[in-house]
Amino acid sequence: MMSSSPSAKRQLRLQIPVVVAGSALLLSGCSVANSEDTAGATAGAASDTLRVVLQQEPPTLEACEANLTSTGVVVRSNVTQPLIERNPTTGELEPLLATEWEATSDTEWTLKLRDDVKFQDGTDFNAEAAAYTIDRAVNSDLGCNVEGYVFGDTDLEVEAVDATTLTVTTPEPDPILPLRLSFLEVVPTSTSDTEKVREPIGTGPYKIEQWDAGQKITLSTWDGYWGEAPAFPKAEYQWRGEGTVRAAMVTSGEADIAMGLGPDDGAGDLGVNYPNNETIGLRLSGDTAPLDDIRVRQAINYAIDKEGIVASLYQNKDKVAAQLIPEGVVGHNASLEAWPFDLEKAKALVAEAKADGVPVDTKITLVARNAQFPKVTELSQVLQEQLAQAGLNVELKMTETSQHLQYQIRPFVEDQGPIALLIQHGNQAGDAAFTVEQYMLSDGAQSSFGTDEFDQRLLEAGKTSGADRQQAYEDIFTYQNENVVQFATIAHQTGILGKSAAINYTPNSSSGDELRLTEMTPAS
Amino acid sequence: MLVYLRKRILSSALPLVAVIVGVFALARLTGNPANLYLPLNATDQMRADFTARHGLDQPLLTQMADYFGGVLRLDFGESLRTGESAAAMALRAFPATLQLAATTMVLAIVLAVIVGCWAALKPNGIADRISSFVSMAAASIPDFWLAIVGIWIFAITLGWLPTSGVGGASAWVLPIATLLLRPFGVLVQIVRGAMVSALSEPYIKLARSKGAGDVRVVTHHALRNAAAPALTVAGDLTVGLVNGAVVVETIFGWPGIGKLMIDSILQRDFAVLQAAVLLTAIAIFVLNILIDLGYALLDARVRPATVKA
Repeated sequence: MMSSSPSAKRQLRLQIPVVVAGSALLLSGCSVANSEDTAGATAGAASDTLRVVLQQEPPTLEACEANLTSTGVVVRSNVTQPLIERNPTTGELEPLLATEWEATSDTEWTLKLRDDVKFQDGTDFNAEAAAYTIDRAVNSDLGCNVEGYVFGDTDLEVEAVDATTLTVTTPEPDPILPLRLSFLEVVPTSTSDTEKVREPIGTGPYKIEQWDAGQKITLSTWDGYWGEAPAFPKAEYQWRGEGTVRAAMVTSGEADIAMGLGPDDGAGDLGVNYPNNETIGLRLSGDTAPLDDIRVRQAINYAIDKEGIVASLYQNKDKVAAQLIPEGVVGHNASLEAWPFDLEKAKALVAEAKADGVPVDTKITLVARNAQFPKVTELSQVLQEQLAQAGLNVELKMTETSQHLQYQIRPFVEDQGPIALLIQHGNQAGDAAFTVEQYMLSDGAQSSFGTDEFDQRLLEAGKTSGADRQQAYEDIFTYQNENVVQFATIAHQTGILGKSAAINYTPNSSSGDELRLTEMTPAS
Repeated sequence: MLVYLRKRILSSALPLVAVIVGVFALARLTGNPANLYLPLNATDQMRADFTARHGLDQPLLTQMADYFGGVLRLDFGESLRTGESAAAMALRAFPATLQLAATTMVLAIVLAVIVGCWAALKPNGIADRISSFVSMAAASIPDFWLAIVGIWIFAITLGWLPTSGVGGASAWVLPIATLLLRPFGVLVQIVRGAMVSALSEPYIKLARSKGAGDVRVVTHHALRNAAAPALTVAGDLTVGLVNGAVVVETIFGWPGIGKLMIDSILQRDFAVLQAAVLLTAIAIFVLNILIDLGYALLDARVRPATVKA
């Protein structure tokens, strides 16, 4: 009826492209650019490819950004390597591209380098490359993340004395310079020093084979690697934002390793616990009433039932914390005991402060960050309730990352009243200096207050080394708990990694930031 | 047709500019992203260097003028996060979302027409009641929950489908099923209502009196008149899919524009956010024109007001 009219013919002409376009879209709907079928990807460890699923896609694989978790977990020790590496279990520094190092003066360190190492582009690794790497990451205008993380505004003077000898000179004595150098991943001199490089060349056992943006990164071994060849010739990284999906990929055989799982993500028996060097606690703004009264800050410490929190929210996998750093980090005070849960004492301290005119009824804002770590919302609600039971007026404010940083880093957001900030601090460097200079100095970037005497102690501790350094920082954590009480530490966290039964691997405290593929082997 | 298109392009230019200006200004009201991109212990000098390097220390109007100057040269800036071209990132992500949304909507429409027509043939009959229940449930189920349950059943328990990722046909099943349910549920209701109305018209009774069967009555007479409202709603739902497939893209690791936009917002990656919003706005504009054209094809009463205008 309609097809015989002229208007119907015109309509048909218009309908054709629409139908064709729809059909094309439908047909194209079976592939996305550069994609491959993942449904049949069940080979796992039985194949040559090790499959890892991360929380997010690395923004870059640039070597001087390797201290970023999502970058470092792919490149560190896999694609690129440092001169010196820190053993995450013992905390000791061990040779890698450098065979030995010593302080040749108060401000100069001399390193001897391996002479049998090549970069993945075939060029030789030597002192010139090592010097270039340090200069590029620390002294250039690239704005490398590792510069801010480890070196601050300090510039280093570097000299390649000969092919295997390197000297590094610091403006001030720096007893932990070798530890700082362990964060620098070495690149060849052909690497741009005016622009960051998304896919670096390194000396590691794997080179970057392909990066399908948005989908996966593939690494493969190469013939010229100076060390022992890894068990898996290839490694493939994918990323999924949801922990439940990452866990499901391991349980269904689509991935061999899943990073960053929570206790409720469903990894079951394939979830492996490991200490991740992260500590959670409250940072109290001691410059604002009522938190400017030490009795109120002590009351908060007594009011938090840390054992109960660890048991009920974290299945006793976390450990109650007495300080901001866990065991294994230089300066950890093993004899320091956590504040006991004593609600009556907390109430008495609040009442005592109130009797002395401290405005304990003033609203304290408990600021926490959504999705910062597993069960952060539930923990925040528990803390709010427990502080209220001690007689404090607490309001909970959940924020996203950018907002949270306004409370965490100086200059702090103003006119917000007293703040109890829920923090998660990770000391992956292995030395207390990286914690206390930030969190305890009066003007530390993440410190809300301090005292002149405490500042002096902190600065003196930073100049020490060896056993003196250990003792100095132990004393500092004791002093913090007895005289300053800026923090109410809650727990040292435990990470969970999903691991296929077909893989042999024991995660350690650095696995979240540096997943060494060479430590993974097939189970059979 | 050309006159109509020219008018639509001109009338859409102002909203596009408004969207860009709005996104540009609102994004920058959220503060300096230096804290997000630098280590927590970065010094003040490093924060100042970062801010200056990316031009974030300039007055807002200067930044905006620079941005519009760049847009005119098709330079949308670089990602703060990856250092890549923002336009390249948006263009790389957009086809993945478009394919997902288009496939989903074609399937949703086809299924909704079948189920809606079936239900409308006997209002309040058993088919109508079943389809009403199913469609209401489909329109109400949260996609996040559905996606997780789908993974648990079909990927983990039964092992029939991959949990996530992109690739062959099997990888498309769960994302499409998750996305499909809501538009399917809504469209079934629309088609069913429109068909019930159309089937009660006198010309349908005339067709039946001439001996036309159910299939012929539905496909040759009633459906054409019932299609217009369904098309309008389908258009809105498609816009929603293009713009809002964030949950599905996040859960299934689908490298689409929705996830890119959310990541850009959370990371204050201004250039990528602006490029992604602009691309999406243009796509929605094109989609709306296609809907208008389709509407005109289906309904002669509106044709002069749109296509011939």
